[in-house]
Amino acid sequence: MDTSLMSSPGVMMLFGLSPILALGLGGLLLMLAEAFGRPVVAHALEAQAIGAQPAGPEGQIVDAGAGRAAELALGAAVILFAGAIFSVALWLVGPENVTATERVAPYLLIDRFSVFFSFVVCLGGGIAALLAGGYLPEHRIERGEFFPLLVFCTLGAQALAAAGDLLSLFVALETMSLGVYCLVGLRRTSVRASEAALKYFLLGSFAAALMLFGAALLYGATGRTDLAGIGEAIAGLSGDGLEGRAAQILIALALLIVGLAFKVGAVPFHMWTPDAYEGAPTPTTGFMAVAVKTAAVAVLLRVLLVVFADERLGSWGTGWPPVLATIAVLSMFIANFIAGRQESVKRMLAYSSIAHAGYVFIGVVATSRSVDAQASVLFYLLTYTVSTLGAFGALILAGRYRAEAVSYEDLAGFGRRHPAAALAFSFFLISLAGVPPTAGFFGKLYVFKAAIQGELYWLVVLGLINSVIGAYYYLKVLVFMYMREPKPGAPFATPMRSGYVATALVIAACFVLGLGILPDTALEAAVAAVLGG
Amino acid sequence: MLETYLPLFLLFVVALVIGGAMFTLGHFVGRKPLGPEQAMPYECGNDTRGGRDVKLTVKFYLTAILFVVFDIEVVFIYPWATLFKSLGWVGFATMSAFIVALGVALVYVWRKGALEWES
Amino acid sequence: MQLSTSFLAQVTPVEPSPVQAALTQLFPADNFVLLGVILALPLIGAFVNGVFGKRLGREAVTLMALSAVGLSFVASLVAFFMVSSARVGDELVRFQWTAWEWFRLSTAGDFSQTPLNVAFSLDALSAVMILVITGIGSLIHLYSSKYMEEDPGYYRFFTYLNLFIFSMLVLVLGDSLPILFVGWEGVGLCSYLLIGFWFDKSENASAGKKAFITNRIGDFGLLVAMGLLLYFVGALDWSGIESNKEALLAPVKLWPIGNEVPLARILPEDAGKWLNQPRYVSGATLVGLFLFLGCAGKSAQIPLYVWLPDAMAGPTPVSALIHAATMVTAGVYLMCRMAGVFVLSPTAMFVVALVGGFTALFAATIALVQNDIKKVLAYSTVSQLGYMFLGVGVGAFVAGFFHVLTHAFFKACLFLGAGSVIHAMHARIHDTDQSQDMRYMGGLRKFMPVTFLTFAAAWAAIVGFPLTSGFFSKDEILLKANTSFVAGTSVAQGDFTWPAWGHWVLWGLGAAAAILTAFYMTRLFIGIFFGEFRGWTIVRGYQAAVHGHADAGHGGHDDHADEHGHAHEQPGPDMQGPTPHESPWQMTLPLVVLGILSLAGGFLSAHLFHVHPLDDFLGPVFGDAVQRVKLIKGHETRTIPLVAFAVVAFLVGSLVAYWIYLQAKGEPARKLAAQFPRLHSLLIDKWRVDELYEETIIGAVDSLADMCVWFDKWVVDGILARLTTAIISLSGTALRQLQTGRLQTYAAAMVVGLAGVGWFLLTPRAAAHTSADHSSGRYEITAAPGFGYGYRWDSDGDGQWDAEDFGEQRTIAFSLQTEETRTIRLEVRNAFGRTAEREFTFSRPKPDKSGYVAAATGVGAENLKNAHEGVGMKQ
Repeated sequence: MDTSLMSSPGVMMLFGLSPILALGLGGLLLMLAEAFGRPVVAHALEAQAIGAQPAGPEGQIVDAGAGRAAELALGAAVILFAGAIFSVALWLVGPENVTATERVAPYLLIDRFSVFFSFVVCLGGGIAALLAGGYLPEHRIERGEFFPLLVFCTLGAQALAAAGDLLSLFVALETMSLGVYCLVGLRRTSVRASEAALKYFLLGSFAAALMLFGAALLYGATGRTDLAGIGEAIAGLSGDGLEGRAAQILIALALLIVGLAFKVGAVPFHMWTPDAYEGAPTPTTGFMAVAVKTAAVAVLLRVLLVVFADERLGSWGTGWPPVLATIAVLSMFIANFIAGRQESVKRMLAYSSIAHAGYVFIGVVATSRSVDAQASVLFYLLTYTVSTLGAFGALILAGRYRAEAVSYEDLAGFGRRHPAAALAFSFFLISLAGVPPTAGFFGKLYVFKAAIQGELYWLVVLGLINSVIGAYYYLKVLVFMYMREPKPGAPFATPMRSGYVATALVIAACFVLGLGILPDTALEAAVAAVLGG
Repeated sequence: MLETYLPLFLLFVVALVIGGAMFTLGHFVGRKPLGPEQAMPYECGNDTRGGRDVKLTVKFYLTAILFVVFDIEVVFIYPWATLFKSLGWVGFATMSAFIVALGVALVYVWRKGALEWES
Repeated sequence: MQLSTSFLAQVTPVEPSPVQAALTQLFPADNFVLLGVILALPLIGAFVNGVFGKRLGREAVTLMALSAVGLSFVASLVAFFMVSSARVGDELVRFQWTAWEWFRLSTAGDFSQTPLNVAFSLDALSAVMILVITGIGSLIHLYSSKYMEEDPGYYRFFTYLNLFIFSMLVLVLGDSLPILFVGWEGVGLCSYLLIGFWFDKSENASAGKKAFITNRIGDFGLLVAMGLLLYFVGALDWSGIESNKEALLAPVKLWPIGNEVPLARILPEDAGKWLNQPRYVSGATLVGLFLFLGCAGKSAQIPLYVWLPDAMAGPTPVSALIHAATMVTAGVYLMCRMAGVFVLSPTAMFVVALVGGFTALFAATIALVQNDIKKVLAYSTVSQLGYMFLGVGVGAFVAGFFHVLTHAFFKACLFLGAGSVIHAMHARIHDTDQSQDMRYMGGLRKFMPVTFLTFAAAWAAIVGFPLTSGFFSKDEILLKANTSFVAGTSVAQGDFTWPAWGHWVLWGLGAAAAILTAFYMTRLFIGIFFGEFRGWTIVRGYQAAVHGHADAGHGGHDDHADEHGHAHEQPGPDMQGPTPHESPWQMTLPLVVLGILSLAGGFLSAHLFHVHPLDDFLGPVFGDAVQRVKLIKGHETRTIPLVAFAVVAFLVGSLVAYWIYLQAKGEPARKLAAQFPRLHSLLIDKWRVDELYEETIIGAVDSLADMCVWFDKWVVDGILARLTTAIISLSGTALRQLQTGRLQTYAAAMVVGLAGVGWFLLTPRAAAHTSADHSSGRYEITAAPGFGYGYRWDSDGDGQWDAEDFGEQRTIAFSLQTEETRTIRLEVRNAFGRTAEREFTFSRPKPDKSGYVAAATGVGAENLKNAHEGVGMKQ
């Protein structure tokens, strides 16, 4: 092995960027693969799906990429998991040892923080790809472009977590968002999906515009676009220099918080969430709930702790912590109360994701006062990612073509019809509810512990109360699955069969259980990944 | 600080003056009684057909969007070209990667049949 | 005392036998893998039955479940004898087994190095518990194999049952609170699943739900207690808590929250002062009360007892195992386990004892009038659990725990006996509700002699028939309630001493409950087994009900009539139907074993005869805790009268019941009920506590949820949407195309949010952190930093600003003479030129001897704590 080659800056650069490059190149290849795929005849699809003789009219070519969702899903999953593996490799070598990547700084900061998030979003994207591999063919959403889009969105999320400059931050944000808008509206014939996509798109543009305005104000006030530089400039402002700019910077802070809170889906910027989550195909919903949210929290952390790290801005009397604390409390209470009233499990999970944004925000608030808080947020996002995707996956598995499992009633007696899937579902919900020995328990434990360390007792109490409220609607699903029988004659969802979905569930379950039983490794990683750590 | 914005302000003023002048002059100088032909849309003498809210086929938009997408990419190439020498091989490689990505996109669009008017 | 013939001593040879030596080598004390075996067996049983049960068939399922628990029992026996033989002197024997290291709370911070391992340990207390769990568990498994024979969910039932045994073992074997909590939740889950086992009946499902919700409240207490322990003690495992528990004596300021109560400012000065008076409790009291909340949830004490009677909707063996013998005593176990912590707080102990006593009496009053035999037993269980808490609360841990044991024997026996009766009645009546109603029973002793005899033995035990197990355990508790108390700790502040009348109240509650217990149990006993069998009539009525609702006698039950659609025997004058019959041996054998234990078990701790092997065995567990438990002066003289009273209580209660229900055929009871109809119906309705909860707590939660929905619907959708629509339609038509759906609402909400954030950042806030050192008279006030803020001060209290201009000085320090008061003013101006002002008043009090100095009454300082931390942003 030629060590000089291995240590040459070019190779090291490639290595440092390998998680991002893997997704970029892989996405391009997947795009070509999808475009050049052999066309499939419509009636064959139908026959393949229902396992009967071709019955429809003479088949016609639907789309070049149609009917190959499963194969593309495999490709996408391989690419995304490869991204995750590259992230792990990079982590083990240590991003700080790969100095060559400083050439792309500050546009992309390859530090432990971004590598950690790269792993989380790749994992989330990979599981979502597997879920889609089962879901799309089952529900006849024969749109092969789903998979390249998914890969590019994940790429955007990765880049967002790594962005160290306002310009690359915005580009990454839009890369991620534009793809997700399309993923939401994938089911073109569904009015609901189109409505969801349009709403998300319009509000998303609104939020992006607000953020862009905030970024422009920051640039105007400091003359810098790199986050660290802006942070330094702000810290250096005092006296006359501060006089005219303080107002600008404060407005920029408000605008950036609002723009990012929108992506995270926190109250009161959450209103799009239930509609978009419900209208989108379930794998997309899962992806949005985890990867988009995770990346947005990552960039929020970076913005708050690098740009607005000044003690005058992080102050409890006058800075951003009380703002975020209010958002956290509102998110938890409103989302939990409305979630408890939902008829639809999917919508319930949407509200649940808002509530989880609230828990995450507790941790974000605590970063101003506790050294552990950042790590707890990172760890929480990891546990939340696997639990949520697992829950959506189990929901996917519970339904079938034209009989998707949507409401609680649909799940009545599911425990009998498909014990393994019901068990997995229960497991993920228990994790979301935060019951040991699951990942979710430790996520909540560490966030609350960090908040206690920061002496935010009232936030912890409110968080605990909300955990209890949350447990109600998660366990309601269990009640329906195990304790109810479907009403006679009522349509109930029959579980589908798909190796892809099953694989995804197994992966998620391994993580949920692994993080629940041996959380130490991941927690240590999270501790190592903190900004400025 | 404000001085730097002076040219911008001047531009603004000039645009306003010219635009305003056009209209004002047209109002005063132009022939007052309009003939029926001039009152028609485009002043071309042909009858227009259909309402104003006619819906164009989505293909127009698709083509327009594709044009805009690829057109904007060209804007990137422009500054690169002016700095071609100073950027050196790294710049060349970067731009090549960019163009390859663009090429893949073109192939994709082509292959998906978005460039075909009839289908 | 020397007379005590410890049976442990008998099995403990001086020289370890080869078997013992081999066992000790195989399972060393610090890696006692035998615990793993005990735990794994039921888990394997649950797994196999759960996964393959459907295909295995009935016999294989039975074999699997029974052998799993049975072998676990054998292993527990071995472990038990190893514990008893390993003991030397008064040393505490604790075998430990660490399965794996779970996690460490090791990121940083105050409680940095708290390891949390999945570790189990066995000492005398848990050794007895696992014998009860696996022993009675085995018997009930055997019983269930027949009782549940016909049930389509046979394998599911045994899966849950095995899982329950596993969880219960985790609960008692766990070496730390978190592991205990895992078991605690596990048994809760199994209980929930088993209560709702026949989930096709909606009342069962709702009973399951009720149990679930009530237990969550208790769990909340347990979780808070864990957090507090972690905070004060820094450990959650038994030895860690034990070694560091003195830290719990630290006082905690409970009131006012922050520095003062905002309300005090508008009240008259004296009232305000009184309101602002700091109040302290010790950490031990807090921990103790929260722990007790957890215990009260699991062990069905007031106010969380409501779930247990409803939980009887589950199959009867479940009631016997979970809701009588084992799970519900987990609270008592936890209290015994944490005895060292509880005794640090006389307050907590008194609360425990008082709640226990009240529960004992309260539940007994309800049991007086119930007709459903399982309901009677359920309330009796609640009442007996009250006794246990009464015992534990007065510091008689061994006595309380002893009652756990005897109660496990006789109540399991009673429930299984009731199950046997129901089994027999059900064969005849085919209606779950009616086959549990004692109004249709009577005279069954002729048909079911074994059930009758064993039931009689258990009856004797629970009513306190002299020399039975219940007699000794109940007697001991009553005796201790009258004579022992928990001594105060050395912390003077806010400490609580037991009032002198406390003994008589506690004893009075227990004694009254004892009389009532004797009464209602005798009533039950007579109702089931004596007199004429009243089931004949019910069968006729039952037939009539099917044919035309002629009989209104059992009104409410009619709608349940014959869901099974069985064809019954032809109606006719000699229509007798199948007679009730004795149950098969699988059901009677457990009854016999438990009946014998109910009679003889008392000699495990018969202080009257100076025979108390149990006390000797458990001694080291409570050795430390009982140091703080004292006996009142002259307690020796009370022993004989109190024992005599216990006998009298039994005689009065049972003889009155005998007279009313057997001699007078229940006539006096009917008269009384007619005379006090409202009281009677109140008792029948269980004091209407369920209704009260329904109206208050559940109603409140419901209306809160309703309010949120209402808000969403009217305020967000209604007002906001209309307002924005109006604004947008005024401002132009460009956005009109987007106004489909409720998009505008969403955008409006975002705008409102943005405005809120902006408003917050726009508003100046004169928050500040004050620090006061009254002894030296140095005071300091630091304004919270704000971006773009300017500050000006009036530091000398003369009403003039020190400087007119806003500066950057954030900190003012000054000193005061004794009893001097000064008002400092602070004005801030933010980046938008807006200002805010605030006053801070400092006064230096006279030196206070108590050691707890009243804090500075800083007016307008409610945010001080918060403001303080804003000073530094840690990274």
